[in-house]
Amino acid sequence: MIYKKDANFPYPILSSNSFAYEESDFTIKINFEEDSDIYRFKVQENLTSPFMKRLLSEGVAQYLLIIQSKDTKFFTLEPNDLQVEIAKNRMSLSSRTSIQLHIVAKMSVNFAENGELNAFYSDLKNSIEVPKLSLLGFSNIVIFEGGMKNPLDIFEKRMDPSLKSAIKFELGSESIVLHFRDEETQFQSMSKASAFINPYLYTGLRMALERFVQNYSEEDDELVELTQIMQPEDLLDFKLYNLMMSKGIESLDNENIDEVIGRISHQIVEKYVRAVKELAINED
Amino acid sequence: MKIRLLKEGYKEDEQLFLEFRKGEVTHDSFFSDETVEIADAPDFPFYIGKGTEGKRKNDFMAAFRIIADYYVELERDIHFDERFWHSLLITQKRDYIEEHYPQAFESYREFCNIVTKTFDWENYIYKCILAVEYVEDSGERALPKDQYYELIVENLDIFNYIIKYSIFRNSEFLIKVLTVIHNLDLGEVLKAKITDRPDLGKDERYGRRVIFELNKAYPVLMSPLLDVEELQKEFLKALGNYYDLSDVKEEVETPSSKPGLLKRFARIYK
Repeated sequence: MIYKKDANFPYPILSSNSFAYEESDFTIKINFEEDSDIYRFKVQENLTSPFMKRLLSEGVAQYLLIIQSKDTKFFTLEPNDLQVEIAKNRMSLSSRTSIQLHIVAKMSVNFAENGELNAFYSDLKNSIEVPKLSLLGFSNIVIFEGGMKNPLDIFEKRMDPSLKSAIKFELGSESIVLHFRDEETQFQSMSKASAFINPYLYTGLRMALERFVQNYSEEDDELVELTQIMQPEDLLDFKLYNLMMSKGIESLDNENIDEVIGRISHQIVEKYVRAVKELAINED
Repeated sequence: MKIRLLKEGYKEDEQLFLEFRKGEVTHDSFFSDETVEIADAPDFPFYIGKGTEGKRKNDFMAAFRIIADYYVELERDIHFDERFWHSLLITQKRDYIEEHYPQAFESYREFCNIVTKTFDWENYIYKCILAVEYVEDSGERALPKDQYYELIVENLDIFNYIIKYSIFRNSEFLIKVLTVIHNLDLGEVLKAKITDRPDLGKDERYGRRVIFELNKAYPVLMSPLLDVEELQKEFLKALGNYYDLSDVKEEVETPSSKPGLLKRFARIYK
């Protein structure tokens, strides 16, 4: 599993945003190659922790590469051969793929000799002993976006003269699709067209967020704790997730959907109201 | 043979259903320019929600066999793409659907539920594809392949729960969990509903809670990396959070006294 949450580990953990280590860092880059029937991922690691390097070279710890797309694959890697090959019949890059490198204990590890920890651990570290198979460090996540057509667009407009209603909403594979029967419905001839369609956007967002609650809330609990869930696989949900996270929204449920829309949509209702008011004044 | 792929947006197109009900769908307006080349595309049961336990088991086993022999070696870009499967069913399997799932012609709702069902853990083709990939690819198998396929069918609830969450959607982990279930003969207890914990939700089962606990402990405890014996221990520890194993604790750690544990579990049903 790709690890991105700020976790409370019961022992010091090495990562770019952990405070346990004073200076040491652990990041990766991925070079990707395609070769007839396989995909090859080459990992370039940047590990600046002498303590971890020693554990790795002594075989006390090992690298574990995690590739998550349609499912999760684990590969133990030797420090001098950081690459994997995956057959195309077992790996698809048409969906988003996340890659992370872990350092995992192969046997129990004592932290007494670890000189890289911050002062908080000075008196404690002698007694820190983590068991076999514990996570010791994790890198940044490298993401291949795969087949996402428009990584930023949440809405898509389509014209369909044969539509049975003036407008139709659809939650598509990576966007909220608004089908219009004719251009008038989109107010295209008017100067404030973009604001006039805001009520449609609101409806679409509400539909998408209601489904989001349904998809990610724990059974019998109608609340989604955004900081606790994994990144959604569904591309539309993933975009909404990123948007909400970027606005510092921590939870979503049917009660706060309207509030959340207000926070992620740049005053969608207010802009609509202003446009209508302006129109009314101009008409007078 | 060439499979023509349906045009994007087909899932919301009720016209496609109406055309399918009338006869073979051939009109160009339903299709994109893309095609998939496949050597042979034999029939297999792909809607396994109905019928007796025995029939469902046979259907699953038949689907596993045919998917393993004919479909799973296609690139994942194809065999994990719902548009491919929906196009295949609509263009090649109309007769099969008419014979086996005639209700798909009755209403648009049934059609969507059987033919153009979203390709996720609730879709039977998706379940079978993952089962086949994971069993066929598994390196160290304690049991023969066929036995793993049977274990999947017999433990569908926990299989579903494992593939529902991408974290544990992993070949080695599934195989090891099934091995543990087999070794300790835990199938029945994992399936059983938890009745004495109203705080957990309506349809809670011991098996789901075990996976839930392992999920919670990750990555401090990297359960997918554990070997079968270690996983066995963690499995019972997690189960112990929901079921009182205290007086069999000692027996649990020595496999020879397995019957004691099972006797204990048997009481859950009373």
